[in-house]
Amino acid sequence: MQILVKTFASLRDVAERETMVCIEEGAVVGDLMEVLFRRYPGLEEALFSSPGELKRFVNILVNGRNIHFMRGMDTVLHDGDRVVLFPPAGGG
Amino acid sequence: MLTPADRERYRRQLPLIGDEGQERLREAAVLVAGAGGLGTSIALHCAYAGIGRIRIVDQDRVDLSNLNRQILYRDADLGKSKAVAAAERLRGAGPHLRVEPVEASIDAENVRELAEGVDLILDGMDNFDARYLLADAARECAVPFIHGAIHGFFGQVTTIIPETTPCLRCIVPHPPPGGAVPILGVTAGVIGCMQTAEAIKWLAGTGDLLAGRLLLWDGLRAETEVLAVEGDAACPVCGEHRRKCE
Repeated sequence: MQILVKTFASLRDVAERETMVCIEEGAVVGDLMEVLFRRYPGLEEALFSSPGELKRFVNILVNGRNIHFMRGMDTVLHDGDRVVLFPPAGGG
Repeated sequence: MLTPADRERYRRQLPLIGDEGQERLREAAVLVAGAGGLGTSIALHCAYAGIGRIRIVDQDRVDLSNLNRQILYRDADLGKSKAVAAAERLRGAGPHLRVEPVEASIDAENVRELAEGVDLILDGMDNFDARYLLADAARECAVPFIHGAIHGFFGQVTTIIPETTPCLRCIVPHPPPGGAVPILGVTAGVIGCMQTAEAIKWLAGTGDLLAGRLLLWDGLRAETEVLAVEGDAACPVCGEHRRKCE
C-alpha cells in the first residue's frame, strides 16, 4: 500500500518535504518509521530520544489525527493514508 | 455609527469588512497574552485595524536582546515594563482605542480573570504551560483562542473555537522544549499578522478561519502548508464533549 509522508520545520534538514512510501498491508506507524529511517539516516535521531522511543513533543498525524491519541507507534496504517511529521514551534 | 473621521481612516478596509464589521472591531475587546515578538506584532495590527479594547499582559521588562523582533519597543524603553511600554507606543493608533496593560505572569490563579470580558484571546506566549491555561480559560469563557508559535524561520497558527474545533492539546499534546529559541523578527511578524487576520475575520464575521486547520509556515523554504487536524475522543480536555457528539 502507498503512504504519503510529509515533514515540516527542522525535519526538512534530514528528510525530503514529501515522499511516497510503499509498505506491506497491515503495517503500523513503527514499520513506516523503519522504512523512513533507512531512507533518511538522520531522521531517527531527529525523531527518537532512544531506539523506538519517539520524542514526546514530536507530532505524528495520520490523516490529521495525532497518534498520541491512537495506538502510538502501533497505529495501523491504510492505503492512501497521509502521515505528517512535525515538531511544533514553541516560542513567541 | 462610524464617524466621518472613521470613514476616512478606514476607507481602504471598509470595502473588505463593511461598516458593520468596522463597528464590531470598535466594540471588541481582545486579550493579547504576551508582549514579546508575537504579542507586539499582534497588538500593533489589532490597534491599527480599529479594535476598540486591547488588554495586553506580560510580566517582563524590555531587554536589549528583544529589540530584533519586539517591534513596539525602542532603546529608550530598555528596562521598562513591556505591557506599559506597549500601551504607551499604541496610544493614538486608533481613535477609539483603549489599551489596558497588565504587568503579570499568566498563571492558574489569574488566567480566568484576565480572560474575563474579552471576545477572543490571542496567543503571544513563549511557553505551552501558559498556552494550555489560556486555551482552557478561552474554553470556559466560550471565546476563540488564536494560537501561534514560532521557532527560527518556522511558525504555526490555528484558531481554536470551543466545542467546535480540536483543542490545543489535540493538536500539540506535548510541548516542545522551552527556553530562548532562535527567532527572526519577520517570523514573529508573519505569524502575528496571521493570528491578527484570524481575529479580524472572527470579529467582523467574514472569510474562512483556520478552524480545524493548522497552518505551518516555513520561511526558510518559502512554503506554507495547511493541514486538516482532527480532535480526538481520547483527548483529556475536549474528549468528553467529543464523545457526547459522536
